[in-house]
Amino acid sequence: MLQCIFLLSDSGEVMLEKQLTGHRVDRSICAWFWDQIISQGDSLKLVPVIASPTHYLFQVVREGITFLACTQVEMPPLMAIEFLSRVADVLSDYLGSLNEDLIKDNFVIVYELLDEMIDNGFPLTTEPNILREMIAPPNIVSKVLSVVTGNVSNVSNTLPGATASCVPWRKTDLKHTSNEVYVDLVEEMDAIINRDGTLVKCEIYGEVQVNSHLSGLPDLTLSFANPSILNDARFHPCVRLRPWEANQILSFVPPDGEFKLMSYRVKKLKSTPIYVKPQLSSDSGTCRISVLVGIRNDPGKSIDSITVQFQLPPCILSADLSANHGTVNILADKTCSWSIGRIPKDKAPSMAGTMTLETGLERLNVFPTFQVSFRIMGVALSGLQIDKLDLKNLPSRPYKGFRALTRAGEFEVRS
Amino acid sequence: MQLRQLAGSRAPGTDDSKRELFKKVISYMTIGIDVSAVFSEMVMCSATSDIVLKKMCYLYVGNYAKNNPDLALLTINFLQRDCKDEDPMIRGLALRSLCSLRVANLVEYLVGPLGNGLKDGNSYVRMVASIGVLKLYHISASTCMDADFPAMLKHLMLNDKDAQVVANCLTSLQEIWGLEASTSEEAAREREMLLSKAVIYYFLNRIKEFSEWAQCIVLELVAKYVPSDSNEIFDVMNLLEDRLQHANGAVVLATIKVFLQLTLSMTDVHQQVYERIKSPLLTLVSSGSPEQSYAVLSHLHLLVMRAPFIFSSDYKHFYCQYNEPFYVKKLKLEMLTAVANESNTYDIVTELCEYAANVDIPMARESIRAVGKIALQQYDVNAIVDRLLQFLEMEKEHVTAETLVLVKDLLRKYPQWSHDCIAVVGNISSKNVQEPKAKAALIWMLGEYAQDMQDAPYILESLIENWDEEHSAEVRLHLLTAIMKCFLRRPPETQKALGAALAAGLADFHQDVHDRALFYYRLLKYDVSVAERVVNPPKQAVSVFADTQSSEVKDRIFDEFNSLSVVYQKPSYMFTDKEHRGPFAFSEELGNLSIDTDLANDVVPAQRVEENDKDLLLSTSEKEENHGSINNSSAYDAPSYDGSRMVGALQPQQDLVSLDQPPPANTPASLAMDDLFGLGLPVAPSPTPPPLALKLNAKAVLDPNSFQQKWRQLPVAASQEISLNPQGVSALSSPQVLLRHMQGHSIQCIASGGQAPNFKFFFFAQKEDEPSTYLVECVINSAACKAQLKIKADDQSTTQAFSTLFQSVLSEFGLP
Repeated sequence: MLQCIFLLSDSGEVMLEKQLTGHRVDRSICAWFWDQIISQGDSLKLVPVIASPTHYLFQVVREGITFLACTQVEMPPLMAIEFLSRVADVLSDYLGSLNEDLIKDNFVIVYELLDEMIDNGFPLTTEPNILREMIAPPNIVSKVLSVVTGNVSNVSNTLPGATASCVPWRKTDLKHTSNEVYVDLVEEMDAIINRDGTLVKCEIYGEVQVNSHLSGLPDLTLSFANPSILNDARFHPCVRLRPWEANQILSFVPPDGEFKLMSYRVKKLKSTPIYVKPQLSSDSGTCRISVLVGIRNDPGKSIDSITVQFQLPPCILSADLSANHGTVNILADKTCSWSIGRIPKDKAPSMAGTMTLETGLERLNVFPTFQVSFRIMGVALSGLQIDKLDLKNLPSRPYKGFRALTRAGEFEVRS
Repeated sequence: MQLRQLAGSRAPGTDDSKRELFKKVISYMTIGIDVSAVFSEMVMCSATSDIVLKKMCYLYVGNYAKNNPDLALLTINFLQRDCKDEDPMIRGLALRSLCSLRVANLVEYLVGPLGNGLKDGNSYVRMVASIGVLKLYHISASTCMDADFPAMLKHLMLNDKDAQVVANCLTSLQEIWGLEASTSEEAAREREMLLSKAVIYYFLNRIKEFSEWAQCIVLELVAKYVPSDSNEIFDVMNLLEDRLQHANGAVVLATIKVFLQLTLSMTDVHQQVYERIKSPLLTLVSSGSPEQSYAVLSHLHLLVMRAPFIFSSDYKHFYCQYNEPFYVKKLKLEMLTAVANESNTYDIVTELCEYAANVDIPMARESIRAVGKIALQQYDVNAIVDRLLQFLEMEKEHVTAETLVLVKDLLRKYPQWSHDCIAVVGNISSKNVQEPKAKAALIWMLGEYAQDMQDAPYILESLIENWDEEHSAEVRLHLLTAIMKCFLRRPPETQKALGAALAAGLADFHQDVHDRALFYYRLLKYDVSVAERVVNPPKQAVSVFADTQSSEVKDRIFDEFNSLSVVYQKPSYMFTDKEHRGPFAFSEELGNLSIDTDLANDVVPAQRVEENDKDLLLSTSEKEENHGSINNSSAYDAPSYDGSRMVGALQPQQDLVSLDQPPPANTPASLAMDDLFGLGLPVAPSPTPPPLALKLNAKAVLDPNSFQQKWRQLPVAASQEISLNPQGVSALSSPQVLLRHMQGHSIQCIASGGQAPNFKFFFFAQKEDEPSTYLVECVINSAACKAQLKIKADDQSTTQAFSTLFQSVLSEFGLP
């Protein structure tokens, strides 16, 4: 049971306070919390669940905004954190994005939303579709509408029909002029590669994202060509679990708009699409570095937005790095970033240079970790393939679209 | 001033300008400026049809009503009117605001609208009303009970079509009955009813209708349900299995808790449950934000610690990513340490060595410690020792320091490696080691292996020369002991240094250092061979190091799965105040236990210790109470209270520690103490013949902590069941009565609890003229007129006398 929710700006200012129970939580708790953050240096470094002298605090940070919840009673911590994350998601959905100004401009909406999302400290609903029916988002359409009709309220005056319907995530009488549904496979590859090039760990976390604009109450069936490769899957509440258990078929009535239908993991992949080979050698106070990047396993589609980033060890005084392709930048916090973009056909990109060590230090004794990012459109590297999507219960033939995308998640190469 | 003007200009404004003004007022309120001055104006403007305006007004009123009860009366009128609005949304909102005013003298206006709300045709209003009842209860419990709202809620809970209404009723009822249970029999029965088979099945069958959050609440309830047989357990688990694939992590975790609790008694199924939940948990960790993965990881951590072998093939999931925050990495390291076994140790240690070279210094330290822990777990020590020694060659100060501490621990466990280690350690210049712990470790090794290290005496000598620059007392203490050891092995080379060290030690301002120097000095003067036996006794290798957290504590945390306890890695009694524990735990306590604070304060001043200490003691017995009450709940009339479980639960964890070397030492400081204790002088037992008439100290004092400690340490000296006279039992209306009686006979109570017919007491007494204490656990069943006694005593020989005395005192209870 949460007692209070605060929204703090990135300077620690209280932007919003929502008391949830009779027990009033004093604002001074935020000051205490902010002192903790300052003493830790960075809000992201602070443990999400901490105990203050008077309350237990949960914090979730999104786009520089801290969502802080307080309680004095025992409760499932994941429930609190998950709820705060949902609040953040819903707010950014409503406001377009999240930042200090947006929240300050729309605080009335934020209050209204919080009012419907949680009562007396117990979460009620965080389903965006239901909320949208209760409180209209402050978008241009509604503004135009309000001018035309003269009705300035941004609260829809009907109660959500869905709360009573058997499909709580969808209202019954949706109408779209163009019926369309898009299914995206979005995968992230997490990998750790050791200095000798061995693949320590490589797995894929993927999501099936659906954007649906369908009229009526459609019934969709999505099947994969090779569902057996999935290690574990989690589903949106709309997915019927029986057909999945029996035949690995996703059968569901979709919510309207964008939603995450399913998330999955594929373990133990054998190779990565690109290789990054760093080499460091040092003696008598200088260190030579060279990094080679190339395609290891051609995925068939072009790999773009390749960047290699690493933190120069603190013992390095200066660095002189250059690349035969792309640009190298060294930022003030000693982060070195080499953006390559696409790998050219005729040459393998490489970066080389020398670094001067601290006086007194002969050899380099800490080795940086190289973080690699890339993006491949059109391919799901796990190999997961959508077999077909059937739609039932629809007045007209809809348009179906499929896309796939793989990007690097935590892709690290050690040196 | 500006606000005043705003308020003045408000009355004639149209909705639009009003809205702007309201917005301004609320934004001031949001920043924290007190705008309660315009309360009356705000209320006057609230008569509007504009719903946004209404909402802003509700918000304002909700915020300031509590401090302006008189003005709040003004709002009642329009809120009550809104409660009858034809738009259900407005009805709901008005009702919610009405309940949120929280002004005690306005509750009379609440009852009517709430009653109507509960019967409203629209589920939204019912939903608001069902939580509103709880709010009313917190403002004025009696009003709420008088209006018979709980019964209405119960009816709604079991019959309403809308799942959210049902869920809200459940949360309200749980809290209301939980709090009422202490005073009302009926509420206690109702609370039991929530856990009855019929109700639980009702919820389970509807679980898919509930929103994800309501599912969490229902699952929380189901986790407390005790099924009657294994078929039922499997039914429940089958029904809930698909919840493990829910997108909401909170639901998944709540389901896992149900599974774990249900199968606690079925070992093999429990194992299968672990296998089943492994995958969802690991997915939860890798998806979601760092905050979410941290919360999940904390739970995973707990499970891994309980059953490392199940996760040993998934060790790669616990590899740390460069970008992860330190708190996540630390948990992962601990799990890596736990899952290490024969087959994966090599991989894990290789991985850990990567972290040791990491830029992040705390991380490097932690990983070296992890390597050390794995080494102490006895897998593939050979390779690990090599790795550790490589760390020493990395020439990084923090790595060297951390490694030295570890090498020392390793040597204590595996003396056979001393040769290899010493060779490397000997090469380390003590000038490069600055951290006290590391320096102490190095000095310990220099002393312990003085005969194997060529220049040990000279290194020690140079350290002693810099005595004044050594700021850490720990290091100086070690230096003294090391030079003693060195002297006993290589006297000619060390004599001079020893003299210097003793002189410096005697002049030291630190009490311990001074005392030790003096002790050594006198010891040497007395007899060198005795000194040899004191300082340098033959040592046995330490087989197991003391565990930092007892298994009892771990079990308790496990019982509190899916709660804050897991994240803090402490059971809730260690960090929450009694009144702040969860609504359920809270009510259990009120129902079953009450420490008699005022009484204790009157008579036993020492009991005025920190509230926390009391909790610590209470909670252990409390757990028993709770266990007991669950078992006995169906059959309160035939309670055979299993007192022996108490002993089991309190068994100290010292069993884990090998007692070859007297105290469980894992720090260098206490290690040095080992040496001292190694002398092994038998403590002469004081020969006291059992006195015939036992006299008790009327002002016995014992603080709860020492009681608990003693209770753990002492064996049961006497255990018996006695009958009580019915007259006495009938006088036992509450635990306090007995306490006063016992106090009159110099037997003090330290904790008590229970409800008719089961009471439980912990007593203690002290002998008149010596600090010999008796501890008694007394479980009284007033229905059967029986009492079970368990007596523990410092002085076993007088147990019988005390037991007789205790029984006679107890039997006098209730007699005129």
